[in-house]
Amino acid sequence: MAAEVAVAADQAPVADDIIVARDVHKWFGDFHALRGVTTTVGRGEVVVVIGPSGSGKSTFIRTINRLEQHQRGDIIVDGVEMTDDVRNIDAIRREVGMVFQSFNLFPHLTVMRNITLAPMKVRKTPMDEAEASALELLERVGIPEQADKYPGELSGGQQQRVAIARALAMQPKIMLFDEPTSALDPEMIKEVLEVMKELAASHQMTIVAITHELGFAREVADRIVMFDEGQIVEDLPPAEFFNNPRHERVRRFLSQIL
Amino acid sequence: MATADTWQPAPSMPPPRTETGWIGWARANLFGNWLSGLVTVVTVPLILWAVWRMVSWVIGPADWTLIASRPQQFLIGLYPTEYAWRPLTGWLLVSILFGMAAAMWGGAARRIALGYGIITVLLGVLPYGLFHEGVVMPWWVRAFILGNLLTLALGYGLGSNPKTAKPRTFVLGGVGIYVLLLLILIGIPGMEEVAPRKWGGLMLNLILAVSGIFFAFPIGVLLALGRRSNLPVVKVLCVVFIEVFRGVPLITLLFMSQVLVPLALPANFPVDSVTRAAIVITLFSAAYTAENIRGGLQGLHPGQAEAARALGLPGWQVTMLIQLPQAIRNVIPAIVGQFIALFKDTSLVYIVGMLDILEMGRSIVQGNVQFADNARELFIFVAAVFWVFTYTMSFVSRRVERHLGVGQR
Ligand SMILES: Nc1ncnc2c1ncn2[C@@H]1O[C@H](COP(=O)(O)OP(=O)(O)O)[C@@H](O)[C@H]1O
Ligand SMILES: [Mg+2]
Repeated sequence: MAAEVAVAADQAPVADDIIVARDVHKWFGDFHALRGVTTTVGRGEVVVVIGPSGSGKSTFIRTINRLEQHQRGDIIVDGVEMTDDVRNIDAIRREVGMVFQSFNLFPHLTVMRNITLAPMKVRKTPMDEAEASALELLERVGIPEQADKYPGELSGGQQQRVAIARALAMQPKIMLFDEPTSALDPEMIKEVLEVMKELAASHQMTIVAITHELGFAREVADRIVMFDEGQIVEDLPPAEFFNNPRHERVRRFLSQIL
Repeated sequence: MATADTWQPAPSMPPPRTETGWIGWARANLFGNWLSGLVTVVTVPLILWAVWRMVSWVIGPADWTLIASRPQQFLIGLYPTEYAWRPLTGWLLVSILFGMAAAMWGGAARRIALGYGIITVLLGVLPYGLFHEGVVMPWWVRAFILGNLLTLALGYGLGSNPKTAKPRTFVLGGVGIYVLLLLILIGIPGMEEVAPRKWGGLMLNLILAVSGIFFAFPIGVLLALGRRSNLPVVKVLCVVFIEVFRGVPLITLLFMSQVLVPLALPANFPVDSVTRAAIVITLFSAAYTAENIRGGLQGLHPGQAEAARALGLPGWQVTMLIQLPQAIRNVIPAIVGQFIALFKDTSLVYIVGMLDILEMGRSIVQGNVQFADNARELFIFVAAVFWVFTYTMSFVSRRVERHLGVGQR
């Protein structure tokens, strides 16, 4: 199966690609942060993104839900092109969940309100329905008993699991993870990775995750994409990526982080 | 020696006696080093001596006849005596809110209502208004004042009934009562009109402050948002407004409102000088409130707005539901400080000829030979009245802060 996906990644975009990026460029002032990124992600695929700090990983996945605007090239998400059209952006953000390194839970709302806010305000889900599915999600991420607490009363690992539940509550087609475990103490990394693994294994949604947890990448990724200097330098299934990368740069990077 | 098998955590011990309690506090704060010890040795006796002199004057030679004989002027200024029942009725209505708050929020609100009730009883039964020959507080005024205990209880009942004990009911009721109060004071059609120009005393300070706070807050929020707006016109207007009102002394603005505004408006524009003063105080306070709130917005982690946008919330909901509540919470102490300043600044309306509690008192001292020596008593009394209100405000602020702190830790 892995080989199949690798082939697909090299082909021109097909109808079932949920994310298509063609020659994407992004500048911060004079700084050329993305220098022609071209890739596609198929529906239900799990893609892990790695690369040295400052290589443009976050910038790239943030262009997918337009938290960053690209200045050249095209990004098409679930058939909708990312432009300045506010309706397109809002429509896509509803379908794309995002989990941040620093959790970004809303500190003034309880865990329950954090999770039900968007479904109630954006999808107009009635409160009792939204609360019922929030409880289910909290069950799924393993902390149903924390619903009435405030984020500040939870551990980092618990906060990140709430953040995952909050994103899932919108029933997104795509989940973006930006280094979800790198702000966590070692003993909490595992509990968050378990939740992510369970998500990946269910194959219900497309996942693009920036993470340097190589064990996780090896276990659940369909592809590993490596960024360097604003470009993609490697894009391979895990087995080949680790054992037989095509670029010397990959070997050097792996030796640095292992 | 501890080995892997026999290892036990060391027992937790209490800290040394000398570092806790008042001895520890004094050592750390008053005698921390030789300089602070010297300062303590010199200043503490000085302070004690000054306080002793004050207290012995207050309970000794001070003559409080001025205060005790003129309760009406201090409370309502020169509001006509034959219509005194109107402010007294308004007072009855306001008590309902104190009672409701006590029942709904308990804690600090209950303590405030208790203090309020005690003061009300004292005002109702103390034998003041009797010292000054010829001025006797009529029995019906005492009945009105003591009636506040009934409306306080009525409010408590409303606040205990789950049907009416809702924050929304409280806020709407508060606004309703406030508007009704103003209408009664001015006189609804069919009643004799009492122009705001005749309002005075503590009532005037309170009305100016409450109106100011009530409008300054929302206007301040809008100005803060406007200043961060992407629309250049809105942004420039808000910046100019804020900087003008912050850059000019309130006293100057008050003068300008009396002499300049009439130039710009039609001759018979129906805004009297009190309303104009109220508007100026409000806008002045709104400019400061706006800067406080803007500071709160800037202090927020940008990840908060990003997370909200990533969930698909439209921009205005990101502002209203995520950014503003956090920003306001973070600057509550600054905003309350702002409102305390506003309350104190209401005294400045004397410059447009209004008799607020301070100016009322001064004019009594100046206009009556028998009180010519009582300026000291007057200022102590007025200061104490202001202090009771401002201290209550900062007490509430600290409680609210602590209460809201739950989510922040
Ligand atoms: N808002 C910004 N303004 C200016 N420079 C930025 C901004 N965001 C990111 N950059 C720069 O762009 C480069 C790529 O950043 P990023 O995508 O966050 O890297 P990564 O996630 O791979 O560590 C970095 O050099 C970073 O300093
Ligand atoms: Mg990053």
